[in-house]
Amino acid sequence: MVTVEDGRIVAADNACTLGEQKFLGEPRLKGPIQREGKGWKDITYDEAILRTVEMLRDAERPLLFGWSGTHVEAQCIGVHMAEVLRGVIDNTSSVCHGPSILAIQEVGHPGCTLGQVKNRADLVVYWGCNPIEAHPRHLSRYTRYAEGFFLPNDYLDRTVIVADIRKTETGNIADEFVQVTPGGDYAVLSALRAIVRGKRDIIPRSVAGVPREQLFRIADRCLNAKFIAFYFGLGLTMSRGKYKNVRNAIELVSELNRHTKATISAMRGHYNVYGSNEVNTWMTGYPFGIDFARGIAFYNPGETTAIDVLARRECDACLVVASDPAAHFPRACVEHLADIPTVVIDPYPNATTAFADIQIPVAVTGIDAAGTAYRMDGVPIRMRRVLKTDYPSDEEILGRMYAMLQEDHPP
Amino acid sequence: MRVTLQVKPRKKPFLPIEAETIVPAHFLDGTDLVVWKGNRELPLSDVFSVTVEGTAETADEVEITMRGDTSRIKRVGEYMEAGRIVIEDDIGMHCGNFMSGGTIEIGGNADGWLAREMRGGSIICRGNAGNYCASGYRGEKRGMTGGTVEVFGNVGDFAAETLAGGCVVIHGSAGDMAGTEMRGGTLRIEGDCTRVCGNMTAGTCYVFGTVHDMLPTFRRRGTAVHDGVTLTAFTGDIANRGKGNLFVRDYKYMD
Repeated sequence: MVTVEDGRIVAADNACTLGEQKFLGEPRLKGPIQREGKGWKDITYDEAILRTVEMLRDAERPLLFGWSGTHVEAQCIGVHMAEVLRGVIDNTSSVCHGPSILAIQEVGHPGCTLGQVKNRADLVVYWGCNPIEAHPRHLSRYTRYAEGFFLPNDYLDRTVIVADIRKTETGNIADEFVQVTPGGDYAVLSALRAIVRGKRDIIPRSVAGVPREQLFRIADRCLNAKFIAFYFGLGLTMSRGKYKNVRNAIELVSELNRHTKATISAMRGHYNVYGSNEVNTWMTGYPFGIDFARGIAFYNPGETTAIDVLARRECDACLVVASDPAAHFPRACVEHLADIPTVVIDPYPNATTAFADIQIPVAVTGIDAAGTAYRMDGVPIRMRRVLKTDYPSDEEILGRMYAMLQEDHPP
Repeated sequence: MRVTLQVKPRKKPFLPIEAETIVPAHFLDGTDLVVWKGNRELPLSDVFSVTVEGTAETADEVEITMRGDTSRIKRVGEYMEAGRIVIEDDIGMHCGNFMSGGTIEIGGNADGWLAREMRGGSIICRGNAGNYCASGYRGEKRGMTGGTVEVFGNVGDFAAETLAGGCVVIHGSAGDMAGTEMRGGTLRIEGDCTRVCGNMTAGTCYVFGTVHDMLPTFRRRGTAVHDGVTLTAFTGDIANRGKGNLFVRDYKYMD
């Protein structure tokens, strides 16, 4: 329940910590701003849109980055813009679960929706993720504390295994905590695959900090479970080995499917990062890091992804939509962002604002803009708005930019 | 025929140039070729000073020499079938993609994806090579299928990933996960590496240095002498029903 006073949200009941923060929000920009000398000046939306279009038109290799914090309809326009501009479009998954997608492209994705997990999973594995802090409702709605159709006694019926490099909050509520030496996930997953295949004799005394007996016990728990839900986070995707870790986890799950039912899913970050991957895939064939320079879509993470393009100083203009690269990217990337013309479309001033030339504030999807977002298991959900403000939506701003760009390239 | 391509200074030197047109066979019909700088198409002569000496009947008789800062020039020698390319300094990504014949010689360092999905011919790199040297493309099951790649320096991560044929020789050290998903061919690493040959199903890999963080899923088969050096022989990757051969001089597990 949301309480609105004088056009502002003053309370959000029953929201999780993250949701409450989103609803109550930080102070928002009142209108578009442009850098002038050492300060900022207010400009109109018309001026801001025109200047952004001029910047993008002049660029020989524009980068369009972000997209995961906005609705699907705006993301669609973004892909159209990248194609008309012949630029590079990338979303935040290249620094998040991009490696998961690379692994899925290699060996597939034995996944399922959250509802299946809630009603069926008697063994839940969290590998390299900490849902108590990052996905606060995951355990209560779908796993440890959720009553399911076939699991009426919630936590008594379910077993939880947590694997991480240190004991996290989630590790504290696990039935079994597996402490892996940093960078050792690949070896541990390989060992588990060999055990599930019946090759127990090959396993040494300990593998990356995990004793052989514990590996056998985990494998036995998996083999004796009726339905395993394997969830992994950035502990797998962003540690040494990246997508090969995820591939190994997927292949472990595939191997377990010879004995029982097992599924694997990623613990996604931004509320609509999955939507961004979906939009890019249905429009270009690739999920992120798409280079339209030659008029056709070319995809090669490591070359056409935002970090690489920025660190190698390969782009000459940047449009950031609904994201904050300056807060998350390496220093070399941020330095290049400061050197080239950069426009940010985001409701709130953030770290990237400090390196931008123009910022255009917009409505927030789910608060004062409606739109579609994909849940982390790939289910599209319509987000309604809870109040009306004068802010335009991302879709409206990008739609106007795209219309102006289309004038350059009449059909 | 000798073609010399001298790089001209560019206003935005960091923007990559895509120059898959630089292949010996294309110069048989003159030098009226195009390259791409970002989203703009440019004549070859805008980026290089082009000089041609002599004539040639076939691509075999064409030698291209590239001079100057070529570190941002991508896709040189892509789909090359014959002839010779000599790069005096560093070269950008994707040099020798899908190459099936001829020779590329790189005097400096090579960037990522050197010899990606190579089918034949030979590449010699005198300096270091970046990540994914002699590897495949994203999501592909087969990478390099033929030819030889020789790197005198070190290589980055994922060298010879999904190697399916041909021979890769690295005189220096390899980064993380060399020879991952290997299914054929030969990989030879003279220096050290980490987590070599994960998930391999076939093929042969020799490591004459130390393998750090050796994977626990390779079964020891005894010793073998190769080129006068006694190596420990392994079969794997057991996690993947693999029957690849891995020979290493020294190894350390991550326990």
